[in-house]
Amino acid sequence: MKKINDLENLAKKYRRDLFEKLLIIKQGHPGSIFSMIEIVVALYHGGFVNHDSEKNIFLDKVLISKGHATATLYPILRDFGILPKKEWDNWGHKESLLRVFGNNSIPGIDVTSGSLGHCIGVGAGMAISFKRSKQNKKVFVIISEGELYEGSTWEALLLAKHNELDNLNIIIDINSLIILGRTKECVNLDPIRDKISGLGINTLEVDGHNLSDLISTFEKSKKTGKLNCILAKTVKGKGSSLMENKKDWHYWNAMSEKEIEKTRKELA
Amino acid sequence: MLQRDAFIEEITKSLEKDKSIFFLSADFGAQALDELRNRFPNNFLHCGISEQAMLDVATGLALEGNKVFVYAMAPFLALRSIEQTKCGPGLMNLPICLISVGIGLGYADAGPTHYTTEDFACFRSIVGSSIYTPADSISAKLIAHKLLEKPKFSYIRLDRDALPNISPEITKADLDRGYKTFGNINNDKIALISHGRMLHKCLEIYKNESDRFVCVDILRSKPFPKNLPREFSSCKGIIVVDEQSPSGNLSSCVFEAFSEQNYFPKIISKSLPERYFFENGGREYLLNKFGLSYDDIIKACEKII
Repeated sequence: MKKINDLENLAKKYRRDLFEKLLIIKQGHPGSIFSMIEIVVALYHGGFVNHDSEKNIFLDKVLISKGHATATLYPILRDFGILPKKEWDNWGHKESLLRVFGNNSIPGIDVTSGSLGHCIGVGAGMAISFKRSKQNKKVFVIISEGELYEGSTWEALLLAKHNELDNLNIIIDINSLIILGRTKECVNLDPIRDKISGLGINTLEVDGHNLSDLISTFEKSKKTGKLNCILAKTVKGKGSSLMENKKDWHYWNAMSEKEIEKTRKELA
Repeated sequence: MLQRDAFIEEITKSLEKDKSIFFLSADFGAQALDELRNRFPNNFLHCGISEQAMLDVATGLALEGNKVFVYAMAPFLALRSIEQTKCGPGLMNLPICLISVGIGLGYADAGPTHYTTEDFACFRSIVGSSIYTPADSISAKLIAHKLLEKPKFSYIRLDRDALPNISPEITKADLDRGYKTFGNINNDKIALISHGRMLHKCLEIYKNESDRFVCVDILRSKPFPKNLPREFSSCKGIIVVDEQSPSGNLSSCVFEAFSEQNYFPKIISKSLPERYFFENGGREYLLNKFGLSYDDIIKACEKII
């Protein structure tokens, strides 16, 4: 596993890479992408997603249920050599497989997502398949807290708990913002931890931008031998003062040259 | 025999050899399902009364290479989880087979929440889906066998009731073709096109007046059988009978298929009216009251003549 400092530098690099890419394509969801970068850096570069280096494939599954932020995985998959560099370089310039919303025709992307509230169920299906066929594989599902509004999320949580899917790890990216404002003011979701642990699911809390905390929490979750739900407190648009905690930066917005330069400096 | 039992029995038989089959139920049963659950508990999953989660779980199972059958009462499987169906088997082209029981007014005694007079229109709009509507348990068994051999994204519309077996018996060749014709086609005859329960009413008409009618059982309505329009283009007219609401029912498939091939015969759609039914009295009572009686179908011929 890489050192924490290296992981932090990778997270910074991915934020910069993705910002430059979004600048070119002039669309996407920077707020949601920036809120989950450290989470996926910890999962992939922290060695929690099992990688077969001979075949260069990931054996475990990672499902980005908040499909509007699947692009967060692209630079990671590029660096592992799973996503051809050409696809990343071409994105926004020439024909490329990459899309704002991920789909499973993209190497390394395990599910087509975008519509919210699907992937805990999909992940549960994969986890059941692995358990019943005695494959020692794990499934990581990253959902946004906004997906807790979807009934299908709770249906799937019930089912996952009933089947004691200890190979399923759910991570909730809690940045407290949805399109129209703060979740507390739109329709309050709190207390999220009580609601999920009330289903009998093991819950852990983590600072979703602190790589040291993320690594130790993922380590802890590995040892529980239970279905885990990790509540990651994050900041929407993390890293850019223009975007941080701004609901309007759920989507890409036009930026002035001054704003672009300022953001570049902050992400450096 | 109930169609659901015939269908599930085939799955149970295949499970003896193929452990990649998963059967998911949203708390809907069948006699044959009891046996499947007892013998193959590892391949059965109770999903709770949660059709949406069931489809998502099915998606995950199918993404891992399993053959997945999901099973529930028709209105809930077809409509409540339709977005999951689109995003899972639809968008990712996964071999998930949805087995829907109680199409049309099958659950007439339960009222309109339990009818599904719109499932056909909804489901045929999902890209990549195949739709099968058997009119007896033999057809249901053949469909199950076909999908077990070559799984694909499909929607199977089973009747709630035990419908009598069709004679002469539906064969594998009929299923591969997608339809079976009863009687000889010529330009003096009116073709009665239907599927499922309403096929039996059409067959009754055909048997009583075989000099006037020819009857067609559409086993696979999507993709619609390619050869059918040419074969029936010489008929005097066509009446499509479906136990569905007027929009997007079987007659839409027929109109589309014929016009795509530049055939424009007289086609009349006989379906239920644009309304929900709260009246009691049972399925046959409702069919007779709302335009799908034997006489209603005969009367429709007058428009052609």
